[in-house]
Amino acid sequence: MDAWIDLARGPFFRLSLLICVLGLAFRVGNAALQMALAWRRAGDRDLPIGSVIRAASQWLFPHRLIATRPLYSLASFLFHVGIVLLPIFLAGHIALLRGIAPPWWPTLPPTLADILTVVAVLAVGALLLGRAASRAARALTTAQDLAVLGLLLVVLACGFLAANPRFSPLDARTVLFLHIASGDLALLLTPFTKLVHCALVPLSHLLGEVGWHFPAESGRHVAIALDKENEPV
Amino acid sequence: MAFQCSYYLEPVDTRDLPRRFLEAFAAILAHSNYGPVLDTVSRISAHCARCATTCPVYQASGEPRDIPCQRSELLLAIYRRYFTLAGAIRARAGTAFELTEGYINTLAEEVYRCTACRRCKLECPLGIDHGMITHLARWILAEVGIVPKALRVATREQLEGKTHNTSAIPAAAMQDTCEFLVEDCRDTYGMAISFPIDVEGAEYVFFPAVSDYLLEPDTLMGNAAVLTATGASWTIGSQYFDGINYGLFYSDRMLDRIVSMEAAEVRRLKAEKVLIGECGHASRSAKFFIKTFCGGRAAPPVVNIMEYTLQALRAGKLELRPGAIDARVTYHDPCNIARSGWIIDQPREILRAICAEYVDMSPKGRENYCCGGGGGTVSIDEIRAFRTGVGGATKAEQIRRTGATVVVAPCANCKKQLREVCEDHGLGHVQVVGLHDLVLKAIVPPPAMQVAPPDGPGQSGA
Repeated sequence: MDAWIDLARGPFFRLSLLICVLGLAFRVGNAALQMALAWRRAGDRDLPIGSVIRAASQWLFPHRLIATRPLYSLASFLFHVGIVLLPIFLAGHIALLRGIAPPWWPTLPPTLADILTVVAVLAVGALLLGRAASRAARALTTAQDLAVLGLLLVVLACGFLAANPRFSPLDARTVLFLHIASGDLALLLTPFTKLVHCALVPLSHLLGEVGWHFPAESGRHVAIALDKENEPV
Repeated sequence: MAFQCSYYLEPVDTRDLPRRFLEAFAAILAHSNYGPVLDTVSRISAHCARCATTCPVYQASGEPRDIPCQRSELLLAIYRRYFTLAGAIRARAGTAFELTEGYINTLAEEVYRCTACRRCKLECPLGIDHGMITHLARWILAEVGIVPKALRVATREQLEGKTHNTSAIPAAAMQDTCEFLVEDCRDTYGMAISFPIDVEGAEYVFFPAVSDYLLEPDTLMGNAAVLTATGASWTIGSQYFDGINYGLFYSDRMLDRIVSMEAAEVRRLKAEKVLIGECGHASRSAKFFIKTFCGGRAAPPVVNIMEYTLQALRAGKLELRPGAIDARVTYHDPCNIARSGWIIDQPREILRAICAEYVDMSPKGRENYCCGGGGGTVSIDEIRAFRTGVGGATKAEQIRRTGATVVVAPCANCKKQLREVCEDHGLGHVQVVGLHDLVLKAIVPPPAMQVAPPDGPGQSGA
């Protein structure tokens, strides 16, 4: 098992992290480039940037979230707090980034990390229940939605059990391996699944506005492309 | 298979329909700015169903097909399959769906159940604008000939007919109407108003929803009374006088052609600005798309008549009688001017100045509910039962809760829809009017405008 653990937190971790970082950089770079090109084509270049920033930033705080579907939204908020803070500020994770993370990088106190993990695990449960309880959410939910949540649940739960082996029904090394391997898989899948929203969300708000700024000649060019220039309405 | 929707269509050529749909989709992606939006949205959509909690159509119908995210998925699935690498790989593996005529039929039905009110965008943490995706789907459908007949016939008359307006009113009839309104205003309200026609060099060229000339005399008299009382430099162009733009509802190509006609009329009359009457979609299409299609920052500025009236009121150029309207009044925010935050407080400030009892709906402003007839659906009489029974159900309840007997709706489409909603929801006692209908009753005309002691309905409130 130790050999598997070394493999998972050694070369596989580095490969997953590399693919995740490069993949996200590509996705963000590509979206930004496409947006810049769209902006150059736009007939009207007045962008209400203030309202876009306001609309995007309001979701960083729970007050707007919990106004509708309060329990589901609160669970979503708490889940995101855990899933963002734990990978970046947990001492054990920073140790894996030796040589990359600067020495002053802050770490979460172990107790706080445990609390955040338990809350995030409970939040995943609440999110799954919320999806099951809502007719609309049930209609929308895809296999990928459930698979991604399930994977993150494994990462979080195994992470907690690995740090607190007295609660673990499984052997500590097995749990640690499951935590690292599922974490590697989550990193690997991030650029290729809806997890990519972690990097694309700020741009998606901006794109929503840029999309309405049409190229001045868009209609005429579409008519030419479809050979409809002289076609009556 | 015959192409069937719950709204009337002109005959659709179904030969090679999926291929022609994809060609139109490809052409639009190549020449518009929708591509980057679809590329991002198709990757990040979380299917959290928050949009379902805010959509008045879904809330009333309870049908999953009315969830904004579900509707968007119909188009996103086509995008992923035919315009992404992953879709091409899945197709090679034989696991991708194939676009069929039946699928296009479903899409055509669903996108006209949406009122394009864009309320769902406010609730999406990822910033997905389902209204935009519906807007795009409608354009693609239009390029293969699938457009509600009511919208297409009106646009055809506007762009290619003799009258160049959606109500097919000849210019001479429009001028006769204006003359009649001048007389009516003099006899009823004791005010001398004027409708200047084809005055060159005016500051504003006025484009109301052309249906106002047929259906909303008080709105037009109110508009003219404010403009006359404030000594505005304005005119109506006889060659093009319609603010309506159904292109906003089904095709950017038509949207472009229609706003270009407005800009051309302003240029012909050597005027400076576009003045739009009381109409939400007419205002949005002019305000946001004249700049797009007619010269960017060099395009003529666009002002809504409510902005003009409030500015005149604040500047002391317009005198209104406080408490002139004694009925309990509420205000409906047309989505096309309120959702972006453009016109929310202006009409309320005017109403508070003239109403003895003004009450707001809840929610209001940016978050107000659509009347249920947005996105051009108000013109589709075949779907009236759905439009008022489902689309307008939430709005009817909002109105009922205010206890108001007068609803001010500064939009030709909202007014038609709300009158039908009130009729179908047991609110027959509620009167739906334009903002300037009430301003007309409250205006204190300057001496030069007074032609007789004012009497008649204006002095007893709405």
